[in-house]
Amino acid sequence: MCAPSSIDRIASATWEALGTSVVLQSTSSAALASARATVEAELDAIDRACSRFRADSELSRVNAGAGRAVKAGPLLIDALEVALRAAKLTGGDVDPTVGQALELAGYDRDWQLLAPPGAEAQAERPGPIVARLRSGWQTVALDRASATIRVPAGIRLDLGATAKAWAADRAAAAAASSDCGVLVAIGGDVATAGPAPAGGWRIRVTDDHRSDCSAPGQTVSIHSGGLATSSTAVRRWSHGGQTMHHIIDPDTGAPVRATWRTVSVAAASCTDANIATTAALVRAEAAAAWLAGLGLPARLVDREGEVLAVGGWPAEAPDPVASVGVAGAMPIGLVGSCEPRVRVHA
Amino acid sequence: MRIHTTHTRDAALRELRRINRWMIAGSIVLTGVLSDVAAHAFPGKTIKATATKGPSASQPSSSAETSTGVLKPPAQAPQASTESAPSQESTPSQESTPSQESAPANESAPAQESAPAQESTPAPSEESAPSQESSAPVVSGGS
Repeated sequence: MCAPSSIDRIASATWEALGTSVVLQSTSSAALASARATVEAELDAIDRACSRFRADSELSRVNAGAGRAVKAGPLLIDALEVALRAAKLTGGDVDPTVGQALELAGYDRDWQLLAPPGAEAQAERPGPIVARLRSGWQTVALDRASATIRVPAGIRLDLGATAKAWAADRAAAAAASSDCGVLVAIGGDVATAGPAPAGGWRIRVTDDHRSDCSAPGQTVSIHSGGLATSSTAVRRWSHGGQTMHHIIDPDTGAPVRATWRTVSVAAASCTDANIATTAALVRAEAAAAWLAGLGLPARLVDREGEVLAVGGWPAEAPDPVASVGVAGAMPIGLVGSCEPRVRVHA
Repeated sequence: MRIHTTHTRDAALRELRRINRWMIAGSIVLTGVLSDVAAHAFPGKTIKATATKGPSASQPSSSAETSTGVLKPPAQAPQASTESAPSQESTPSQESTPSQESAPANESAPAQESAPAQESTPAPSEESAPSQESSAPVVSGGS
């Protein structure tokens, strides 16, 4: 329960789950413990159902089905429905059947266990990654009536593009109440539910969710819904002498050639925001017009660090230190203020 | 000799006709079997709306609009945030100065209210970080 006197105070907790960091904020410190328990239970259930890296997960059993219909629980069925909806809404740009391509790219375990970029000898360059991917999502048969999922042989599901954001939405909704607002951030995917604190939930958008708030970026506030950021500048690893990242272009089956380094989108839910950010990275030059056409506030940062705001995303305040640390790899752990450091472009 | 040749020819033609019939019947059955195998191997999915990939990159908004549902914008667009944190704006209770926000929580040393640059937001190495009261923004970045 929220004490009326504490409605504008923000209590927070952080921990690790789903292979990344989780931040929970609540407008009530008294409600934080129960909210955390709720969120932890929700994330644990989703991990057991949807993880590609757990041999005992339901998703692993479905992927091993190789053309057979496999029984699945309601959580995995919901998660797959969300992923297939993402594929429909983006014309296949966000495709849950890229699991095989990710494995071919070397992403076959938790990414923290992968070799960092440049760790392998450049001499052993492999040929291009080839996987059967085009419109793979349309070959997935989800039967809610019989609670079964059938994935053709050669196709492997990966729900990473949507499951984290969807988990944040679910966890926030479960932990909030009519008088207690919560924010749940899972690996930088931010969902809110319940009443927001005065001034809204403050969020620093930047390249890497592991950064502190002094990293180059912009601080905004939202009062409801969700905000997600996808980036090709993080979760990179070395495979066969090449640097890989986790955003796969379903057309090529290879990591996208990044026009945008980082894309942030606000939407009515974290799931929708995350679908939009991932699709924007895949759509490259067409992304800005697509996002604006949907009325989604978005902030796109190109490879040189130039920022483009569309759909009502707030302009950044001019910053006297704008030239500091804009281009190139993002420095992590800078000590400084949370003032924006990125140049403004209309 | 001539009669024998005619009989032989007729018999051969009859045999050929029989073989042809069997081949036609066999090919029809085989086509059916292979079709059934292919249908099970590649089941497909009924798509109510147009969801082909095709020109999505060049015509970006079409696919989202023609599919069921749309990506919903927020009720309110994000607003540029200043450094004045909510908890600093309205703190009617115990703590008198926002800059000493973390003083009552002795065990949560990293959570300095007035020092957002410190490692108060994500603390991945802390499996169960103590709860803290913080005005530092949550970081949204790639993961």
